[in-house]
Amino acid sequence: MSVHFLLIIAFGGAFITYFSGKIHSKLRNFIAVFISLVLVGLVAFFYNRYTQDAVYLQFLEIRLVLSLNTLSWFFAITITVVETLSIIFSLRYVKGKEKTDFYYLMMMLVNAGMLGIVLSGDLLSFYIFWEIMSWSAFLLISYNKGPALAAGMKYIMMSVIGSLCMLIGIVSLYTAYGTLNISEIASLIPSASSGYILFILILLSISFAVKNAVVPFHTWLPDAHSEAPSPFSAILSGILIKVGTYGFILIFYVIVGLKIFQGLFGFRSILLILGAVTVLVPSFIAIFQNDAKRLLAWSSIGQVGYIILGIAFGTSLSVTGGIFHFFNHAAFKALLFLCVGAVEYRTGTRDLNSLGGLIKKMPVTFIGVMVGACGLIGIPLTNGFVSKWLLYKTLILEPAPFLAFVSLIGTWAALFYSYKLIHNIFLGQLPEKYKDIKKAPFSMQFPVIVFSTIIILFGILPGIPLTLINTIVMSFGFESLHVTLWGIASETGTLNTINIFFAVLAAGIVSWLFFRAGKKSISVPQEDTYAAGTYIPKDKYHYTVDFYNPLYRMITPYLKDVIDTFYNWIARSVGKFSNVIRKIYTGDVGNYVLYIILFLAVLIFIQFGLKLW
Amino acid sequence: MVIGIIHIIVSPVLALIIGIFFLGLSRKIMARIHWRYGPPLYQPVIDIIKLFSQKGVSHGFMFDLGVILSLTGCIVVILFIPFGALCPLSSSGGLLVILYLMLLAPLAMALSGGEGANPNISIGISRKLILSLGYEVPFLLILLTLMTHYKTISIVELVEIQQDTGWALFSLPLSLSGISYFLILPAIMGVRPFDIVSAPQEIASGLNAEYGSKYLGLITIEHGLSLFIGTALFVNLFLGGAHNPAIFFIKILLVFILVLFINAVFPRFRTEQAIKFLWGVPTLFAFLGLIMSLIFK
Repeated sequence: MSVHFLLIIAFGGAFITYFSGKIHSKLRNFIAVFISLVLVGLVAFFYNRYTQDAVYLQFLEIRLVLSLNTLSWFFAITITVVETLSIIFSLRYVKGKEKTDFYYLMMMLVNAGMLGIVLSGDLLSFYIFWEIMSWSAFLLISYNKGPALAAGMKYIMMSVIGSLCMLIGIVSLYTAYGTLNISEIASLIPSASSGYILFILILLSISFAVKNAVVPFHTWLPDAHSEAPSPFSAILSGILIKVGTYGFILIFYVIVGLKIFQGLFGFRSILLILGAVTVLVPSFIAIFQNDAKRLLAWSSIGQVGYIILGIAFGTSLSVTGGIFHFFNHAAFKALLFLCVGAVEYRTGTRDLNSLGGLIKKMPVTFIGVMVGACGLIGIPLTNGFVSKWLLYKTLILEPAPFLAFVSLIGTWAALFYSYKLIHNIFLGQLPEKYKDIKKAPFSMQFPVIVFSTIIILFGILPGIPLTLINTIVMSFGFESLHVTLWGIASETGTLNTINIFFAVLAAGIVSWLFFRAGKKSISVPQEDTYAAGTYIPKDKYHYTVDFYNPLYRMITPYLKDVIDTFYNWIARSVGKFSNVIRKIYTGDVGNYVLYIILFLAVLIFIQFGLKLW
Repeated sequence: MVIGIIHIIVSPVLALIIGIFFLGLSRKIMARIHWRYGPPLYQPVIDIIKLFSQKGVSHGFMFDLGVILSLTGCIVVILFIPFGALCPLSSSGGLLVILYLMLLAPLAMALSGGEGANPNISIGISRKLILSLGYEVPFLLILLTLMTHYKTISIVELVEIQQDTGWALFSLPLSLSGISYFLILPAIMGVRPFDIVSAPQEIASGLNAEYGSKYLGLITIEHGLSLFIGTALFVNLFLGGAHNPAIFFIKILLVFILVLFINAVFPRFRTEQAIKFLWGVPTLFAFLGLIMSLIFK
């Protein structure tokens, strides 16, 4: 069985799902889930059965090829798993909405496009799949109409600019080397001048940075993530933007190669600074958002910064950390988006100031958000901790203390917005109107449970994914790390998660025993609180509105999204300019004839008057 | 193996005893400074026993779990901090793990308080989080200075290097960081002038407003442990730690008494004033310390 099969099923499955929806919606749901599961199984089957340059199409003189290696396998398995869980979540989420067939078609096309990107062995197929993914994503972002249309427009505008840069880069590579095969280019590129390599790197990086939402190309993301349907937000934030990460890894370490890339000091420094800004500013903007999904969207940009820092720093620890953080972010951010989606499904709102007290109503979703938030902050025993530990260690010892400082402060911002997210949805007073909320349906709980398990399992035993990532990193030419099942051993500091796990377990048992030793307490309703003699009315307060006000007053002058304002200014100026031009192009043929005659008259005048030629 | 297990058991127990002793001592010293007689040294023990025998109220699952988790967080951090020669788990990830484990206790407490749904608690949490961001900026700079200067992320190695080459507080590029650390120490330990989080006269003890009986007992224990952690970290990072627990105890006792003196004479900041102070002189010193340690390697 060859790799083609994977793509045939992915693309074919999408259309089969679409047409089966015309017969019956239950059949469509079944087929959608079934095909996603088959894809997961198939990708798992291809583990360690790697192929190089399997030709699938001859296009003019270019052979379009697919290849599968550890790097693409790792991305492929992440893509298929997140996609399957999102499809399962969608079953109830889009039920009863219009155009559901179309929704499933686009979901599966995005998935197929992403699989195609990571499997393609030449840049032309890479570009084709890239466009399929971008445009399907555009249609899905705009699925909800209304403000979603504007968000989709913003996304596709920036995406097209990125794609154009990529196209220029690819064409330039083709004219220079006469081939688009990735491994052939990789073997030819060391002979190129460093100026040319830089040119290619910048062009392709712009394209990937747009997709990956690196500051200053991030402005599409907050709108797109918050307006898209929640299961698709999970895919969008979990893996679609990480395809940009894949692109970065591909050009830095596969095409250009480790040695040359480490030599490009200026380029790397700029990327590192951009990465640091991407961590710092969006994380603090996220604190002051009142829309749950918008908060998560800004947080996604912040977390992307860590991945960029890891990959651009270019040591074996940092790249391992970067790639691992890609996986971790896919897990916990998809989880958080799905949980918020479940809350939105039950309550009909995602406004953080009007929710509250849902912990007793939706316990599983609450635990999901808790685990996801812990992963996001990087509390030990979640996977997010391990990747951040790897990154910090290399930043501290290399030494790049300012980058380390920025990333550590980003963690504190993450603590702030995670707490706000948890508290405003699940803790505090339960509003009167949500007294009869039911818990989320099973199809919405199942993905939450799976993701939570992944986060905690890989937090306690990070060796499982790390051995795989170690193989990837070694294939780039880095030295091997001493990965054990529960961490990393080295001379400059070891990590041992199993020790931490048992320490926490033992301390937890001791604390629990302390707790049990006291007299049993009686359970009282939430309103029965101590307020120093004053009466706290029911359903009146949401205590965390303006929660961070003192901080807000202090740092808000520094948190304006200048870049978005700048882009909007450009858009407005182009609009004004076009309006001026429209006055000249009246559409009246007589006017055009007049322009031509006037122009000729000017030419003749110049010729006779000045004798220029 | 056996010695390791004994260390794991002994070190939190000692920390607990010292923490509760600190609680009693602080009341006594404060009273003497105020020209009062003050309660006996063992008063916190009586309080805790009393609290555990009372019947309390619970507001739900997270309300209970948060208190337990928060004590868990404190105990785990102690396992990672070298206590003289006792350092059970110090080789499992170093200072970075401590930094992250220290998040666990306040976060769990905040979640627990969140379910209490009391306006005083919410104000307390808000102040706690903002204050922590305030001192975390200089604190992280200080830690990074130490780790880049000594080229290690392991706290045991930091202590060993200081045993060989002298205290970090008195080796020149690091002195600035040391001074900065001492300036933010009251904020880390939550005493005046930074006791905006509990502030009994303003917000009814803030976070503690809704807790009574064994909950308050656990919180008192946790408070004692966090006093130990705050001073122990300072001693390990800047005063060279110690070879044996006795000397270590004397060092943390001296640091604690110094902090108590500050506590006794200062009034309370407002939240913004506290942040302005923390992001002012201490951050400047920490920043200069980092730059100087990068220049004079």
